[in-house]
Amino acid sequence: MKAIILAAGEGLRCRPLTLTRSKVMLPVANRPILEHVISSLEKNGIKEIILVVGYEKERIMNYFEDGLNFGVNISYVEQKAQLGTAHAIEQAKKLISPEDSEFIVLNGDNLIEPKTIADLLNNYEGDASILTVRMEDTAGYGVVIKEKKRVTQILEKRPGGLSRFVNTGIYIFTPQVFETIEKTPISENGEYAITDTLQLMIDEGKMVTSVNTESKWLDAVHAWDLLKANAIVLNSPKNMKQEGELEEGVIIRGKVAIGKNTRIRSGTYIVGPVVIGENCDIGPNVVILPSTTIGDNVSIRSFTEIQNSIIMNDCRISSHGQISNSIIGSNNTLGPGFTAEEKENLEINLNSKIHKAPKLGAILGDDNRIGGRVLVKAGVMIAVNCQVESGNTIYRDLSRDSVVL
Amino acid sequence: MCGIVGYAGRNAAAPVIIESLKKLEYRGYDSAGITVLGNGIETHKAVGKIVNLESEIPKNLGGTIGIGHTRWATHGRPSTVNAHPHNSGNPDKISLVHNGIIENYMALKERLTGEGYIFKSETDTEVVAHLLHKHMYGSPDGKTARCDLLAGLREALKEIEGSYALAILSADEQGKLVLARKDSPLVIGLGKGENFAASDVTAFLNYTRDVIFVDDYETAVLTPDSVKVFDKEGNLKEKKIEKIEWDFEAAEKAGYEHFMLKEIHEQVSAIHNTLAGKVSELEGAIYLKELNLSEDEIKKLSRVQILACGTSWHAGLLGKYLFEQLAGIHCDIDICSEYRYRNPVMNEGTLAIAITQSGETADTLAAVREIMSYNCPTLAITNVVGSTITREANSVLYTRAGPEIGVAATKTFSTQLICLYLLAVKFALVRGKLSPDYVKSFITELRKVPGEVQQILNQKELVKECAENFAHANSYFFLGRHLSYPIALEGALKLKEISYVHAEGFAAGELKHGPIALLDEGTPVVAIATKGQTYDKMLSNIKEVKARDAYVIAVANINDTEIAKYADVVLRVPQSDELLAPLLSVVVLQLLAYYTALARNCAIDKPRNLAKSVTVE
Repeated sequence: MKAIILAAGEGLRCRPLTLTRSKVMLPVANRPILEHVISSLEKNGIKEIILVVGYEKERIMNYFEDGLNFGVNISYVEQKAQLGTAHAIEQAKKLISPEDSEFIVLNGDNLIEPKTIADLLNNYEGDASILTVRMEDTAGYGVVIKEKKRVTQILEKRPGGLSRFVNTGIYIFTPQVFETIEKTPISENGEYAITDTLQLMIDEGKMVTSVNTESKWLDAVHAWDLLKANAIVLNSPKNMKQEGELEEGVIIRGKVAIGKNTRIRSGTYIVGPVVIGENCDIGPNVVILPSTTIGDNVSIRSFTEIQNSIIMNDCRISSHGQISNSIIGSNNTLGPGFTAEEKENLEINLNSKIHKAPKLGAILGDDNRIGGRVLVKAGVMIAVNCQVESGNTIYRDLSRDSVVL
Repeated sequence: MCGIVGYAGRNAAAPVIIESLKKLEYRGYDSAGITVLGNGIETHKAVGKIVNLESEIPKNLGGTIGIGHTRWATHGRPSTVNAHPHNSGNPDKISLVHNGIIENYMALKERLTGEGYIFKSETDTEVVAHLLHKHMYGSPDGKTARCDLLAGLREALKEIEGSYALAILSADEQGKLVLARKDSPLVIGLGKGENFAASDVTAFLNYTRDVIFVDDYETAVLTPDSVKVFDKEGNLKEKKIEKIEWDFEAAEKAGYEHFMLKEIHEQVSAIHNTLAGKVSELEGAIYLKELNLSEDEIKKLSRVQILACGTSWHAGLLGKYLFEQLAGIHCDIDICSEYRYRNPVMNEGTLAIAITQSGETADTLAAVREIMSYNCPTLAITNVVGSTITREANSVLYTRAGPEIGVAATKTFSTQLICLYLLAVKFALVRGKLSPDYVKSFITELRKVPGEVQQILNQKELVKECAENFAHANSYFFLGRHLSYPIALEGALKLKEISYVHAEGFAAGELKHGPIALLDEGTPVVAIATKGQTYDKMLSNIKEVKARDAYVIAVANINDTEIAKYADVVLRVPQSDELLAPLLSVVVLQLLAYYTALARNCAIDKPRNLAKSVTVE
């Protein structure tokens, strides 16, 4: 069976992290979310993968290339304008042949495990099949209403109550779906949605079924949800390899993975689960606490403490830093004494809407240069390419290219 | 500058050879040809790309032994008669393909013509076919062989001067393929019930990863089940079988429109890989285990001689600045094809550094061999593991850039620079020219480079816009000073290579000494004006240029507020250490060349008249 993975969108709600990469490339346990999806497919024997790319596609293509290193065969199709999920799937039509009796469609930005896919593969039937998960609070998600296995109605994001079965966006279709996609009308928000295609199929009397899964399916809606996803993935049992060099006097507790050519210097104390990438230079005397992911080519100097955070590639964190529940994008330089304040139950204003974050420090996009003794208040987001001079306290979000003197 | 392939197996030879030729197309592609050994010798040729040849070949072409060739003209224009293979005999007895140059071909041609051989082509290669035929069959109409192909070949090679990699078939010797090499690359691939030969391993990597590198003056006989290699005297030689680890598939475009754009983007990981394990930030240390030079020997060096061609020469020019400025070692740089013929003065205290992406550049190899005779230590900087230069130089520093397919070098240039930075700083440390504290902060800055390159790539749309605005300019000038001067030359070369725009790079201080006469209204002038010791001088040069109504595109740092007053367009690079700025400005210029070529609708990965590795002089 072939798979079509939708990976063309930006993921607006994950800004500023998605200003320079698409949401599917956000790292969870040092692997892009998309890699977790591809590896789950590969473990189910699905090796022919079509990636629909668009926004910041070069990052995706550089990382996955032709798929050889991931045990799959990847073809790319480009969705030049983001005109909805049905339109995205249609871009892959030329790579699906009539001999393919069915194919699977997934979103590249949801975290799933192999079992999630297996549940659908083992139970699908009809002209189309939708994988659902049961949730108590369905606010913000699309749901399906069904009679036994058969789906009778598909509802896009709206206040809950009608059904607890959330649509995961994972489907199995037969190639006939392309005929219905062509007939799908444009929605109120100007998109061709695959949910509208499915509704059309139901209305035409086609057999649309649903399969419920209790396996992992995580949708990182906002940037801070990434921390939760990271913690969950780091906790799941996996082979944690320690390559690189550990100097004498390094203490490691729990599951800790360390990449090639990384050097951990004396006096450093690491409590897993923690993943550290390649070519890093950490210590001496650094403390890294659970559920932290550190990318490649990162340096962290003495007396810095990091907890439950994601540090992406090419960052330099100076001494005496305090970073917890925070996400630091790639190529950031943080001066000595950097502190990301953290708070619980924050209310964060995104595009004039209030969102709740359970516990959060700071979120930094890529390429920022932060001086010494800078304090970032809880929940503040710094975009990309900002410059903050020493001694400042950052109380509110900084937009792209800001300079704080 | 050609590519040859050979196949001896049990499957139809033609499809295998066509596929292999396609992988070699980057070496040159003005014409191509194939011979299979079926009922006698059957040869097909076509001008242009391999697909043209493919359509020439009958579908049912039999024969399980064959040879193929993709040509880039050195002698004789591109045409079907000049395309290889070249045959000899009436009917055809010998068919061969050749990469290299036969230097005494005029004399041989005259002699063979006198003996009744009729030359169909203008190539140097055809003389080899006739000479071989002469040794085997005695005369143009000779019907019976007096000796076998291998013996005849050995006699013929004695008379040939020049370079060659040859793959040869004989109508009277079914089931085998004969090879010979001198000064041109040749590898054998070992399969099961089939064996391969090619100028480059990429040709048969889809079939096998076990290879034998053929050395100079060796000959070899391939059958489906055996590979025999002989030395100059004809004695059977034991050869080491090597395993090729990297993937050609990785070189496939993976969604990109062009290899060049893919390779520009890959610079981030290529620089990571080249630096991996070689620096320690906290200790300010550089580890170069590959360097077969003791600290004592480094201290005693009196001179560095850099040898390179093309883009590698630009990397070398920057290397000269670094060795002199940082390590205080006198450094010369030469273009290999000049160096060879100018009777250079060399002594034992000189380290020769040869820079070649492919490791097969004919002029560079020849220059290195020349230097060996002075008893100097040699160091190669190359991207291709197992290439000829790695077997000749005393030490090899690899750029870990992965295969580069686009003809215009990008990621190998920036990783060559990384190697030179590491070498110069290492030498400076050993010779006590730089303090450990300085080196420590230098390494911190060096480790920032991959992230900063990514930062430039994030803003490529701005470069694209600029390129499109000037895509129709007839000429382009590039100015730089100090460390940016080699980058100005490289920026101009990139633009020339792929977009066919006339482009010149100048040291900005030279402007007044002539080139300024070329400027007129609206000519785009790219001025590399990153912060550094010559920044103010560069600003005055920009003013000079503006005064001639030229259009100034400045490459400057992100937080430079001054520059916008003088330049018409500013393309920004992150604020880095002054020494490392070339690694960033070059990425902007690569993107500028790429998007200019794209706007002008040029064949970016295979520009006209150019080949990826120049394996002839």
